[in-house]
Amino acid sequence: MSGPIILGLETSCDETAVGVVRDGVVLSNVLSSQVDEHARFGGIVPEVAARAHVEAIRSLTHRALRDAGIHQLDVAAVAATRGPGLAGALMVGFAYGKALAWALDKPFLGVDHMEGHLFAPTLDHAGFEPPAVVLLASGGHSQIVHARAWGDYETVGETIDDAAGEAFDKVARFLGLGFPGGPAIDRASEGGNPAAVEFPRALADRPTDLSFSGLKTAVVTYIRQHHAAGDLPPLADVAAAVQEAIVDVLVTKTMNAVAQTGVRTVAGGGGVLANRRLRQRLEEACAARNLALYLPAPVLCTDNGAMVAAAAAFRLEAGERTEWDAEVEVSLRLG
Amino acid sequence: MRFVAIETATAASSVALVEGSEVVASARRIDRRGHVGFLVPALDFCFAQAGWAHAEIDVVAVDVGPGLFSGIRAGLATAQALAGAAGVPLIPVFSLDAVALGAATGHRRIWAVVDVRRGEVAAGPYRPVPGGVVRDGSSELVTAAKLRATLESDASDALVVGDWKALPVDTLVGLHGVKTGRPRYPAAAAVADIARGRAEKGEVPHPDEVRPRYMREPDVTINWADYREEGPWA
Ligand SMILES: [Zn+2]
Repeated sequence: MSGPIILGLETSCDETAVGVVRDGVVLSNVLSSQVDEHARFGGIVPEVAARAHVEAIRSLTHRALRDAGIHQLDVAAVAATRGPGLAGALMVGFAYGKALAWALDKPFLGVDHMEGHLFAPTLDHAGFEPPAVVLLASGGHSQIVHARAWGDYETVGETIDDAAGEAFDKVARFLGLGFPGGPAIDRASEGGNPAAVEFPRALADRPTDLSFSGLKTAVVTYIRQHHAAGDLPPLADVAAAVQEAIVDVLVTKTMNAVAQTGVRTVAGGGGVLANRRLRQRLEEACAARNLALYLPAPVLCTDNGAMVAAAAAFRLEAGERTEWDAEVEVSLRLG
Repeated sequence: MRFVAIETATAASSVALVEGSEVVASARRIDRRGHVGFLVPALDFCFAQAGWAHAEIDVVAVDVGPGLFSGIRAGLATAQALAGAAGVPLIPVFSLDAVALGAATGHRRIWAVVDVRRGEVAAGPYRPVPGGVVRDGSSELVTAAKLRATLESDASDALVVGDWKALPVDTLVGLHGVKTGRPRYPAAAAVADIARGRAEKGEVPHPDEVRPRYMREPDVTINWADYREEGPWA
């Protein structure tokens, strides 16, 4: 155990997160969630997120170093998410990380947030390696990536409108379940019958692309009609049916991508992958096809600093460095 | 004492290394954007000029606003990292103080102005005193009309400095006893000067207390008009 220690900072959206990783082992992984700050607005407010990051980044970094039992000078490189994400939010972690690396005379690596999610499964599954089809779904992104090898990625499908997490958020708000929607619907669906309502599955003609805005409209229409008619099913049934529709689309399209690419390994990342029904359905689908499935633990599915450090370790070993004059890249795109 | 001063709260960004009261290296540029790309290369350049090692510093000083939100945060995040890496104090400086210090001459009451966009400026009154300026009232965000009205009702001769060019051109026209002047933007050297005064008096806050001074709440506009606050089961 003598590989480089990497400090990873993640501030692309609404979690200030810092992790320390060495040789694929998470030495610490801490975060300061802003959920409560955004919940009162019913969604993520970019300026609120950026403000919270700058309040948290310094002390959180110190906590991550302390939890890892290391001194800042033990760090071999500092990494921070470069994009994609919210500009003002990204800038905080990127500026802090870059300056810290420079001041400590260490290399700096600006990391693609999505590549971070691709590396997350390696942190609790030593066996995970490309080639693989990876489903990345959160409130800000939804795509299916064919990872041919580390560093060689192709996006084989993506959402043409809302992200999956966004669909959860919007429907949850309509159902009066609050923010964030994913966990709220997950909870509300307990004991519900997912077959109680058949909500539409969009884009049947595009095997690996995703779409969720039609679902949102269908839910609104359905509830208005049945509320008026007085035969609205229980909330648990509707929540379960909504969840099933989103999960079904994600699983079906992921399996289509597997068929298309011929890979035998599936992985996932992003906050939506913490959804229990999605994990269960992916397990069933992979078992039925004899595919290996690597889902990170929920804390490594949601945005975190350890995944940024893990991706940076790969880039560092490949000899990469990010220039001191680098800026964040809001629309950074993976393959 | 060796000071590193960082100023990115306005359209002008600057970095200065100050030893005692002497500026030994500085870098500056004008741009509303790109603070994150500017800062470390500017520091790198200045440290090389001065021949300082990165950790051989005693104080980091940073302009915490008011001004451009993203610039304030880029500067503060950078300053937090430098101070933390070197294990030295971080001293926050109010942007209007730095602007006013740059105009510390004459007898006129100084009105320092910093652009905060959306039709407003941050403005605050100062009085020149030997060796600098002192605050002569409170600072607030004002519209051009409000600033004009304030200056009109102020009996003393005034010198308006800072980014008054961000105001509509007629804002200061025809005001009796009002002159405009420089500097247009706060400078890192002024930030270092102010921090030196505080450091000498032992006014060093805990790093967690060093926060941006936006002087404005975030704009929150979530357009979900077609969604209800509460569902039919509520
Ligand atoms: Zn993410």
